[in-house]
Amino acid sequence: MPPPLSIRFSPEGIYLPEIDLWLDPRRPVAHAWFSHAHSDHASGRPTLVLATERTLELYRLRWPESTDVVQTLEPLRFGVPVEWKGATLTAWPAGHIVGAAQLCIEADGYRVVYTGDIKLNPPICGITTTVVQCNRLIVESTFGLPIYHFLDQTEARRRILQFAQETLAESATPVFLGYPLGRGQEIAHVLATAGIPTSVHGAMHKFLPIYEAEGYAFPGVEAYSAKNGRERALVVVPGMRDYLEARGDVRVAYVSGWAALANARTRANAHELIPYSDHADFSELLDLVAGTGAEQVDIVHGYAEPLARILRDRGYNAQAAIAQMERLEEGEA
Amino acid sequence: MTFDQLAETCERVAATPSRNRKVALLAGYLGELDEANLVRATRYLTGQPLPGERKLSLGHAALRGALIEATGWDLETIRLCYREVGDTGETIGLLLHSATRNLPLALEQAEQDYLQIFAGRKSADRIARLAEAYLSYRPLSVKYFVKVITGNLRIGLQERLVEEAVAMATGHTAGQLREANHKVGRLADVARAAFRRELDQVAARIFHPMEFMLAKPIEQAPAIEDPAAWLVEDKYDGIRSQVHAGEGIVKIFSRGMEEVTSAFPEVCAVFAKAPVAVAMDGELLAFRDGRALNFTVLQQRLQRKQVSNDLLAEVPVIFMAYDLLHLDGEATPHLPIEQRRDLLARHLPAGAMLSPQKPLNSLAEVDSEFEQARARGNEGLLLKKKGSIYEPGKRGNNWLKVKRVFATLDVVITAAEQGHGRRATMLSDYTFAVRDGERFLNVGKAYSGLTDDEIRQLTRILRGSAYEKFGRVMLVKPEVVLEVGFDGIQKSPRHKSGFALRFPRILRWRQDKQPDEIDTLDGVRALYTASLG
Repeated sequence: MPPPLSIRFSPEGIYLPEIDLWLDPRRPVAHAWFSHAHSDHASGRPTLVLATERTLELYRLRWPESTDVVQTLEPLRFGVPVEWKGATLTAWPAGHIVGAAQLCIEADGYRVVYTGDIKLNPPICGITTTVVQCNRLIVESTFGLPIYHFLDQTEARRRILQFAQETLAESATPVFLGYPLGRGQEIAHVLATAGIPTSVHGAMHKFLPIYEAEGYAFPGVEAYSAKNGRERALVVVPGMRDYLEARGDVRVAYVSGWAALANARTRANAHELIPYSDHADFSELLDLVAGTGAEQVDIVHGYAEPLARILRDRGYNAQAAIAQMERLEEGEA
Repeated sequence: MTFDQLAETCERVAATPSRNRKVALLAGYLGELDEANLVRATRYLTGQPLPGERKLSLGHAALRGALIEATGWDLETIRLCYREVGDTGETIGLLLHSATRNLPLALEQAEQDYLQIFAGRKSADRIARLAEAYLSYRPLSVKYFVKVITGNLRIGLQERLVEEAVAMATGHTAGQLREANHKVGRLADVARAAFRRELDQVAARIFHPMEFMLAKPIEQAPAIEDPAAWLVEDKYDGIRSQVHAGEGIVKIFSRGMEEVTSAFPEVCAVFAKAPVAVAMDGELLAFRDGRALNFTVLQQRLQRKQVSNDLLAEVPVIFMAYDLLHLDGEATPHLPIEQRRDLLARHLPAGAMLSPQKPLNSLAEVDSEFEQARARGNEGLLLKKKGSIYEPGKRGNNWLKVKRVFATLDVVITAAEQGHGRRATMLSDYTFAVRDGERFLNVGKAYSGLTDDEIRQLTRILRGSAYEKFGRVMLVKPEVVLEVGFDGIQKSPRHKSGFALRFPRILRWRQDKQPDEIDTLDGVRALYTASLG
């Protein structure tokens, strides 16, 4: 008997025809699940959006209500099942950023779990991933090669603080580069709660209230302006780098999964590499896959082909779901 | 102080862009070592695993083979990982993550391991011993254990910096160390003498290759300020070599300090008769009827360990001498060029040739000399500063090579490829095209000429305009315009245009130009016709 849920993969997103639901679609659709609020996952204006409450708040900051399209936003609470067209949908934490969730779809006792972007080890900001038992797992593979090993959050905090303190002690400005949502808030939280005066880019600053609602403090953190940029740690988007360098002695730390490789130093032009990510590293991915007990594994994003092969060598029924052009979009890794 | 600490120090050296800080970090480490370990550490830092002249000769296949044996990873995964990392030692270290016994590694133990591996008689033995070493130590230490084998640590640490660190660690000036290293050419030996405070007793040793002095490329003569300060010679398209000879023994070393003596018996015969011990710098050239033959002819000789009489007759090789490194037990690099040249001429054995040299009188002469050098079948010109010393291993401002751009073209990038090493994740190699109506047809590929910053920007732009990917190569929409210079044009089936540029190099990124403004295939055809002369 075929499983009660089938899955279609395409460059436009992942679609479950039996229950008419798109997962992180990339084109306008009727019903969508947004795993988290990064723009390569939550974008456009589906008529109905299912997501966690935090994800919906973050999405609304980027995609404010429109008079042209009437949208219904339907919040899911972690661990609380809702009925959907004959199936049950349950959100579970994914650790990636605040609000990030996996979706478990169950029909006739058959379970599919879509991880979205996921981190297995506890994050600095966000809820630690729940490993959900399932029959079929759809998992990302941004860092799905055995060369990627990341620091745990305790060690990452230590390195972030050490870099900021040493740099300030030498009268230079510590600069952390990051995308507007996720890493930036984590770094600002670590710095500010350790008493280091910190300014963050405006694009990051606007998300702070949502992080604060989630229980993360940012004492004394200001939105960056040319006036408050001195003798403070700065957390800014990569585009500001040249401007800051022209203004004084800055040293740049690159906090990212890509910082696991020495060539990130040239690539990011960074002084300090801190390999910490909001994605799972290779061994976390293997642990996650094993923990779910999935009989079938579909891999999206990143090193899908090689990871599928590695998993097949270990006895899994695994395939690369989307033949993607790897790394063309670096996403918000 | 251990190999583990050496690896940690190297990581910190890699992390700092400051030259002074690199030297200070290294000196701090070296200063704690006893004599034997100082010599070992210096050797490792200069990419030499074994003491003496011995070479470990382990290729990438063996290094990977041992990794397969140690970890069970398949070759395909290893290749893919290497492609992302761009460095063999680092890839191996990363793939050994939490797979090793993390035993401490002493500098001496590393040497014993290298010797053990070296002593393996069959390739399988060497690989097994290497795999054993991989699994024994901390992954970070294995990373550097392998980097030493590959001969290049790739942490922004030129030998000059190691020299300065040894000087600082032993209480000498950088100048004292450098002077001694010029004589010996092997920093580990100099470090030993420095430790014993016997630097003044360091003597040049014949039959040990010295680093070659290198020339900085310039495109145009106006880069020279005062023409009268320069000497001019032809630049040959041969094999840069040193011949060491004395008491009937001859050794020939090529770039990379490889000994190639047995490939050139006729040169050995010439130098076997040298009346006093000499070491000379020059070029091996296939030479007939008074002129150098094409490099491709010479290449036939290079691969041979034994040379047949037929080949000797077909491709006769001479040594074109142009500098003197040792004479009668004394090192000569510290002498001014005029004096070295004079001694060279007087001690050149019969049968070797002396590269013609003359003073430069005017800038205009650079052009005429260049044309004449080309007419003689040589590559271009070398300009050497009057009064300059021979600086081993240095690419400074005292030797300049004039390579002339034959012409320049504005082209558009059609494909981009990942670079290697520190450029491993950037798109730094570009295939480019000229316009033919609505089509863009490739004419060449180049990777040098842009700054890291420009490459970083271009990488972002090109990733955004990629439409197809094959392995390391991405096909991109023709949008980015470059100006390229090159030495010539030849017909080639390799590119759709039917032409290929010789030695193309990127002159600048033309952000002011659109793809419809670039040069056309007709223009290339006209340049080709003109080049036939």
